Amino acid sequence: MLRIRNLCVSFGKSEILQGINLDLMPGDSISVVGESGAGKTTLALAIMGLFSGSASGEISFLGRDLLDISEQEYRKIRGQDMAMVFQNVEDALDPVYRIEDLIKEAILCHSRPEKKALDERVSGLLTSVGLSRNKGRSYPYQLSGGERQRVLIAMALANDPDLLILDEPTASLDPLTKANIIKLFAFAMSGRMSLLITHDISLASALTNQMAVLYAGRIIEQGKTEKLVKDPRHPYTRGLLRSFLKLNATKDLQGIPGRMTLGLAGCPFHQRCTQHIEICERIVPELVRLNGSLIACHRGGILPLLQIKGLSKRFDSFIALQDINLTLYEGETMAIVGESGSGKTTLSKIIMGLYEEDSGEIRLEGREVGIRSLEFYRKVQMIFQNPKESISHRVSVLDAVMEPLVVQRMGCEEDRRKRAINVIEHVELPFDDDFLSRYPHQLSGGEVQRVAIARALALGPKLLVADEPTSALDPSVQAKILKLLMNLQEMMGLTMLFVTHDIALARKVSDHMAVMQKGQIVEIGATNEVLSNPMHPYTRKLVECVFGSENGICDQRILNDGI
Amino acid sequence: MKNDLPGRGLILNYVAALAAIFSLNFALPRLMPGDPLHAIYGDEALVSMTAEMEAHLIKQFALDRTWTDQLAAYLMGLLHGDLGFSYYYKDQVSAVIMGALPWTLLLTLLALAIATVIGVIMGIEAASRRGRLLDRGLTASLMFLSGFPMFFMGILLLLIFGVSLGWAPLFGAITPYSGLEGLDYLKDLCSHLALPVAALVLVLVGDTFLITRSTAISILAESFIMTARAIGCSEFKVKYAHSGRNSLLPVVTETGMRIPHLLIQTLFIEIVFSYPGVGSLLNTALNSRDYPLLQGILLLLTVLVLTVNLFVDLLYSKLDPRVRYAH
Repeated sequence: MLRIRNLCVSFGKSEILQGINLDLMPGDSISVVGESGAGKTTLALAIMGLFSGSASGEISFLGRDLLDISEQEYRKIRGQDMAMVFQNVEDALDPVYRIEDLIKEAILCHSRPEKKALDERVSGLLTSVGLSRNKGRSYPYQLSGGERQRVLIAMALANDPDLLILDEPTASLDPLTKANIIKLFAFAMSGRMSLLITHDISLASALTNQMAVLYAGRIIEQGKTEKLVKDPRHPYTRGLLRSFLKLNATKDLQGIPGRMTLGLAGCPFHQRCTQHIEICERIVPELVRLNGSLIACHRGGILPLLQIKGLSKRFDSFIALQDINLTLYEGETMAIVGESGSGKTTLSKIIMGLYEEDSGEIRLEGREVGIRSLEFYRKVQMIFQNPKESISHRVSVLDAVMEPLVVQRMGCEEDRRKRAINVIEHVELPFDDDFLSRYPHQLSGGEVQRVAIARALALGPKLLVADEPTSALDPSVQAKILKLLMNLQEMMGLTMLFVTHDIALARKVSDHMAVMQKGQIVEIGATNEVLSNPMHPYTRKLVECVFGSENGICDQRILNDGI
Repeated sequence: MKNDLPGRGLILNYVAALAAIFSLNFALPRLMPGDPLHAIYGDEALVSMTAEMEAHLIKQFALDRTWTDQLAAYLMGLLHGDLGFSYYYKDQVSAVIMGALPWTLLLTLLALAIATVIGVIMGIEAASRRGRLLDRGLTASLMFLSGFPMFFMGILLLLIFGVSLGWAPLFGAITPYSGLEGLDYLKDLCSHLALPVAALVLVLVGDTFLITRSTAISILAESFIMTARAIGCSEFKVKYAHSGRNSLLPVVTETGMRIPHLLIQTLFIEIVFSYPGVGSLLNTALNSRDYPLLQGILLLLTVLVLTVNLFVDLLYSKLDPRVRYAH
């Protein structure tokens, strides 16, 4: 078994890996994911004893501490008990030797079998990695990338190692070759301890049952691959997953703001984290167990920003909302979809305190909200459907954006003006005096909505409730506004409750989706899952309506039928 | 390309170059002002020439016939190894050259082999210790040495080890009239060889070292070196079987290109050490204006250089399988 304890690796003054702990038992497979420069390859090379920096801690493998043994002893372990497949298949094979000689060398480094037995082993290895025997006579440059990758696997498996390390094994392969070779990897990894270094999350989920997320030399989250991919708890893991192009994701790509900096004090991710607090800058979070996986975060991972439990509302005898439960996490977007009259707008107005609930509770950042105070509105803001109505036609652009600051009595006149101009710049509007002194009726629909967004952002809110923010706009302006909201989310970690009747639009902007019908949430879950596999008949009909029907026109009868 | 042999195109290139050299050698004396016999043999040889000898030579070179007949006669002569008659040595030019050539070849090839082996080994070792004391020391001292002209190095060695210390003989290839045999003969031969070979090696080794070192440094950074280490290759095998083998390719090219230069330098060294090779012969031929001998030597040298280049090309495709398919 492999046991890594408090492994630190540094090159000169820069520390590449810090406090790494890992355990692998025979049959275990773990993937190490993270962006370039996080130290993934260094970790693999440290285990193989092939890095040139200095290391401290413990790497115990088959009962021996590898950091203590001599180079001679290490050489005997390499290729014999542990083997590695490298990422760059272009240059990973010595160009002047035949394939069979390279595989033979891998065997001869550790044992001296007779010539006949050796030849048999080489052809056996070639067959087992799916290469014909006569390929052995070829030189590396005569093979395709996929074939070279197979040769590398054959070399790694030559002595039946206990530990197999794969470093970005499919990075330079085309999708078809990759699909074929993944099966071979699965075969190669079975029954061994295996460590997969990759930034390809789909490869990691196909091949490994454990996953560790490495950031700036530290493991920040670790757990079952399936769980981590489906429900990441660390903000960085979520950002990584959001940046990864997958076929089944529906939301547009989003990145992670900023770049990775090595050697920061405190949590390595705090500079890019949208929910960091003072302690994150000082103290390195420990990797602790939380709900079955390990996470290193002072805040316990992504925080639930808004929790709604058992919320109900009646207007006289009409039931507007019935037993609404939902949780909205920091930096995520939840779309509330449903036809008109399903209670979407009522829900958002209750959250904003514009209606009072009959029963149930609403929690913001874990604290129950009662009567909405000024402080509440500093954290929660709303954008309305019709911008021309939501902004008074008697105030100029500047005054409209400054209004919330005045209401909250924040700063002096000069500060407010600066802040207003800053947010106007953020929403990509001009900020010259001429524009600032215009009145809403002098602006286009898209511009007024941007002003409304700027006004909502002026206080730097955590949660933005957007009620059909683009339905009054033409499609090209709608696209721009949606892009703007997504960018603001990436930049500020803005959480959004996105109320819409347009399921196609919800698909592109939301992480989660709640489908409402007659005042109830009938289905809630990750957007791609809700849409690709709708469980509730109403959801199925909504989806069919938009994506399924051939002429694209929704037949109202389908909706009414049988519900 | 179907087979593993280098293309016929490569051989054809050499045939063409050879033809060009022969034509030049044939045409030059005939293009010179005056009588070709005069041009071929020079003033002094003609003074002692009798009328019947002149008639014999005119017949031999077919000088009284058309130029095509002359060319045919010239080529036939070459085929028979007939390079003319040396007046100074009173013998066939080919026989005179053949007497000297083995000594030159011995000197050149021995120096080349030693310099290449030492240069490659030191280059590989220095590359794997890049930036450390051994590497920096070797690089500095070998660069310094390779700046010397070889004949100067020869003079220096001769003065120090031959004249001052008296460790080695001052001239010649063997001790004359000693009648040594067997092992003693070999010892005598080696003691005469030591200084000229050392002079050549000391200057030659620098270039081989530098090119091996710089190639090996870049090869050591290649991914396949990491692969070799990962399968548990010993450091020796990594250095020589992988890094070394790949570094040989530029070394072979470079060595091949340096052979003409080396040949010329050897001629000077032979003169410094009075070594009885082609160099000393050339010196004598120059001093005595023995034109046929001079021409014969120059023709031999060009053919030698061409042969060596062909050999290097063949070796190169053997060392790097990729080149086989590039031709």
